[in-house]
Amino acid sequence: MASSSGNDDDLTIPRAAINKMIKETLPNVRVANDARELVVNCCTEFIHLISSEANEICNKSDKKTISPEHVINALESLGFASYITEVKDVLQECKTVALKRRKASSRLENLGIPEEELLRQQQELFAKARQQQAELAQQEWLQMQQAAQQAQMAAASATAAQQAGSSQDEDEEDDI
Amino acid sequence: CCKDDQASGSKKPISLPISRVRLIMKSSPDVSSINQDALFLTTKATELFVQHLALSSFNNGSGKETNSLSYSDLANTAQETETFHFLTDILPKKILAQDYLNSLEQMQEEEGADY
Repeated sequence: MASSSGNDDDLTIPRAAINKMIKETLPNVRVANDARELVVNCCTEFIHLISSEANEICNKSDKKTISPEHVINALESLGFASYITEVKDVLQECKTVALKRRKASSRLENLGIPEEELLRQQQELFAKARQQQAELAQQEWLQMQQAAQQAQMAAASATAAQQAGSSQDEDEEDDI
Repeated sequence: CCKDDQASGSKKPISLPISRVRLIMKSSPDVSSINQDALFLTTKATELFVQHLALSSFNNGSGKETNSLSYSDLANTAQETETFHFLTDILPKKILAQDYLNSLEQMQEEEGADY
């Protein structure tokens, strides 16, 4: 749900995300709509609270960018120290996931095969595939031809047999 | 990592949209730049906050028997829990019309015979 007014104060976490979290935290609980709306706004308030505090801490240090340390100290000083362990764990998890992804892509790159060689192999495979396709097509065509010839021959002999039969009849008539 | 919505069944570390959290942070006055890791931390902290607020409000609230959570449950918890006091600015306790009229009358009486 993008805010169309462009007013910074309208920025909130999407309602759907909050609803989902509420459902997971309080399964089977009926939550009033105005209560949900309130939670959405509380989130924004919380984020501002943490940012401002972390920003202040950052300003007091000689850094220009708010660092994880600043956020953790902010949580502590604002009474949310109980969040710190879990929050740190998640950070570690995110880093691990990012690292795995980078490793996976570099594994592909570092098979030891230079790009030109890979390209050449690819061209070879394509050429092979094209050839196989062509051979298959030719086989099919030949089969079709044979089938057509056989059909023709069968039709021809059938007609011939008919004709032979009818001429025999005429001979008999002559005999009488 | 945490924006991957296609992770089927596996528990994602973060479910709130990180980009939105960043926007909200930057709309705070004076906040300049935020390190990416700091952003992850803030997003996760916000998730924990939602869970914390919801659970506290439900457990302390009047809706436990009926399995429901109301606006006033939240408002009350904010007032009663020190770490949630920062919320009271945006949480006016819904005033009953009668109470308002009563307090209005009271104010008039106090102001005396100037009328």
